[in-house]
Amino acid sequence: MERAAAIINALALALLAADSVAGSEVAKVPVESFELANGMKFLAVVRPELATVSAGWVARVGSANERPGITGMSHFFEHMMFKGSRTLGTRDIERDLEIIHEQEQLQDQMRAIYREQRERYRLGEIEDPFADEVRPPELVELQKRFDALTGEERELMVKDEYDRIYTAAGASGINAFTSEDVTVYFLTVPANKLELWFWMESDRLLSPVFREFYSERDVVHEERRLRTESTPTGEFDEVFDAMFWQSHPYSWPVVGWPSDLRSYSLDQAREYFETYYAPNNLTAALVGNFDLDEARALAERYFGRLRGREPAPDVVTLEMDPRAEKRMVAECDCQPQVEIRYHSVPFRHRDSYALEVLAGLLNGRSGRLYKSLVLERGLAADASASQDSRKYAGAFSLHAEAKGGASPSDLERALLEEIRKIVEEPIPERELQKVKNQITASAYQRLSGGFHLLIQLLLYDGLGDWEYLNDWAETTLAVGGADVKRVAERYLDPEERTVGLYYREPEGAEP
Amino acid sequence: MTAGWVLPILLSAAPQPIPTRPEELRFDELRFDVPDPARYRHELPNGIEVYVAPDSTFPLVSLRVQLRQGSYLEPENKVGLAGLTGSLIRAGGTENFDPARFDEEVEFRAAAISAFGGDSRAGANLDCITPVLDQAMDLFFEMLRHPRFDETRLEVEKENLLEAMRQRNDDPGDILGREWDWLLEGETFYRSRRMTKDHLDAIAREDLVRFHEKYWRPENMVVTVSGDVDPAKILAKLDSYLLDWPGEGVHADWPPPQPTHEPHPGAYHVEKDIPQGTVVLGHLVPRWTDWESPERAALQIMDHILGGGGFTSRITKRIRSDEGLAYDASSSFGFDALGPGSFTVSFQSKNDTVALATDIALEEIERIRTEPASDEEIAIAKASLIETFPRRFESAAQIAGTYAGDAFIGRSHEYWKNWRDQVRAVTADDVLRVARKYLKPDAIVFLVVGKWEEIAPGDAGGRASMKDLFGGEVTHLPLRDPLTLKVIP
Repeated sequence: MERAAAIINALALALLAADSVAGSEVAKVPVESFELANGMKFLAVVRPELATVSAGWVARVGSANERPGITGMSHFFEHMMFKGSRTLGTRDIERDLEIIHEQEQLQDQMRAIYREQRERYRLGEIEDPFADEVRPPELVELQKRFDALTGEERELMVKDEYDRIYTAAGASGINAFTSEDVTVYFLTVPANKLELWFWMESDRLLSPVFREFYSERDVVHEERRLRTESTPTGEFDEVFDAMFWQSHPYSWPVVGWPSDLRSYSLDQAREYFETYYAPNNLTAALVGNFDLDEARALAERYFGRLRGREPAPDVVTLEMDPRAEKRMVAECDCQPQVEIRYHSVPFRHRDSYALEVLAGLLNGRSGRLYKSLVLERGLAADASASQDSRKYAGAFSLHAEAKGGASPSDLERALLEEIRKIVEEPIPERELQKVKNQITASAYQRLSGGFHLLIQLLLYDGLGDWEYLNDWAETTLAVGGADVKRVAERYLDPEERTVGLYYREPEGAEP
Repeated sequence: MTAGWVLPILLSAAPQPIPTRPEELRFDELRFDVPDPARYRHELPNGIEVYVAPDSTFPLVSLRVQLRQGSYLEPENKVGLAGLTGSLIRAGGTENFDPARFDEEVEFRAAAISAFGGDSRAGANLDCITPVLDQAMDLFFEMLRHPRFDETRLEVEKENLLEAMRQRNDDPGDILGREWDWLLEGETFYRSRRMTKDHLDAIAREDLVRFHEKYWRPENMVVTVSGDVDPAKILAKLDSYLLDWPGEGVHADWPPPQPTHEPHPGAYHVEKDIPQGTVVLGHLVPRWTDWESPERAALQIMDHILGGGGFTSRITKRIRSDEGLAYDASSSFGFDALGPGSFTVSFQSKNDTVALATDIALEEIERIRTEPASDEEIAIAKASLIETFPRRFESAAQIAGTYAGDAFIGRSHEYWKNWRDQVRAVTADDVLRVARKYLKPDAIVFLVVGKWEEIAPGDAGGRASMKDLFGGEVTHLPLRDPLTLKVIP
């Protein structure tokens, strides 16, 4: 026991020493921020020790901004943003735009036929309105004419020129991701080529051309098959999300419903771009070796060309208060497992910090879930907890995978028991201190690595405010045991939980 | 008008005009010299190589220990022993701390400590903030030298491994990986064989103790330290942990043995009821030991052009970008210093377009062997490889890691000095020559996991069917029982 006490003191001192290294109580990132007249925001972190600049921008748009009929549009858009501009991607922009226009007229006619196909589907005349075998001859003919135009367009195209120029310039990690709340575009360039990033990114925002709009849908379909339909639990996780969110647009998947994916038009995409890709809805960030004044001048010169617009509409639908417990029972080719999810709070909500400390107490090898479910009771191979703070709402989840003969219901009971203990029993000070030590350490760890820092800045500013990066640790360190108990009691109400029980499908069963 | 809504509106009084094309931009030269390896390399009195890269930007330290040993040293009836030894070194406590206490000591300090045993590399890692470094290193080296191998934790770990085995047929990618390894190197070779429940049952605590005693030894180590440290001080500390390691020094056999299995080219399939076939095709390539050979740079450029260079490469462009047949489609020419490497093309495509995507991949493999690559393709690949090169040395951890990697496989550090010149010297003829020499269409093994009834006929447009590929023949591989790996009847 004495030894343990000595260790606590040693660490308290040690952490104090760590603070003095950084010159403040907890580590902070020196971020310079500025805004252009058109409302576009820039965040800059100069790191002279690097040979590169990691650069990117976030559009404050994700699947939560969609509506039935255009689900998956935000993610689809992320793909379209790599298809070039009036300058990049074609040898003859005039003819290219004509072809796109002619193709769109054909697609309008095809959409009218698909409307009839849906009618036939509703009447039970066909099984699948999109199946090749049930296409009427007019549709086949239209598709042929469409394909011929695609062939002509391809002759004029400079394929994937955006990627080619960057790759030849030594850029790496050229990519993007879309979530429920944000769409983030990023890469790393050699430190001497920062201006290329300004040229390329402002160009694709200034005059994007959505080439290969319809063939790219096939790529997104394959992405959906890969991530959702061919994984052990993917399709059930989608069902679970749709069940958990009652009124909020978080209920549909980021990749979108397949039938919507088949139905978007170019006009819908353009309207989406105008609404959500205005400079006042964007934040850019640079982390690496560059001159701040020069970056500021480049930002003015290149992105200053974009025209500010009306603020994008807010997401007004609030999640309804849960009225009843919800349960999903699934059979899949998967380890028996359970997911318990509660409605909690969004990004930067005052209670989100205590919920993160709660997750910290539950996680890790010396955390409560592993100790209880894996080691002491031998029910689980793995168990974890997480607070998911999204822009408009949040969720707190408990998850466990079964071991031996334990059933998902056994796991559910064991997880709930751990929550009950948090609510009803005192939380030892040393246990809280452990979580806080980890927070102090991770406040430093998240600073190292330029690219990782870039992604955090963009993500946090997309969700609300990048300052979270710097005030997160301090705010979390102020959380006390009473706060943790209070949020556990308030948000983890057993009667308002949503539970997913996953059973292994018996051998030889029909899927 | 189609795109009238995006007409540029020039507002700001630009001090300099914006070039109409990105090629018109001019950049300052960015000089980069490969860091001098002698500044980082040290040797302890007992011969252990240590790479230290100090960097005090943040109060963070990383310590990596790599050992030249692995699963090739375990008995055939105890497959999995090397891996289990690695995980129990971390999970099983130490002489002074029972497992729960050890976890607590580590996590209270917010340190991260791990250990692993792989096929041809074992190791342990420590990451922590500087103020707790001394205590964390005490814990770390006590773990390495005096693991307790607690019986209860061994049971927990074995149960968890059994659960992991049960999931072997759940994810198509896992089935693909297993069958692919077997097709290329046989079911008994050390890096393709898999653990069964019988192996697991045969492994006892005593086996772990012996494996640790024999192979987790300083003689087999390469050590890397990066971050907020003083090199002289950290070397003295390492001396204190590593010099008085008791017992006889034994070097593990090195390098590991080579495979004797002869792969049989052709098409193979494993049935799984999913909408998308997941595919790998390719063949083994020779173990790579001649790092001075200019063929290496030529092969890297070839790989970049064929399918390793993202959207600029042919396979990705044709299968994903032109045809929309896959989300991921790429190739990789793998150089392996310890055994054969492999050349592979991988993609996932809906069942009925697997044949079409395969046809395209085979066509591109043939094309790169028979037609010279264009000047533009060569130029893009070269520029990309040369311009991204400094990123291997950007942080202290990367510098130390790169040089320690050389030491581990026995490659000279000089390799990096000439690397960019070797890339610059590559010609289209060189690319054609290495493609002919190293890509072997007749040796290709094709493996797909998916629904055969939909894969076989190919796409509705009649553009390709499995009948037209690999002589129209296919071997259907049976699914294996996840615990015994015996064929499920």
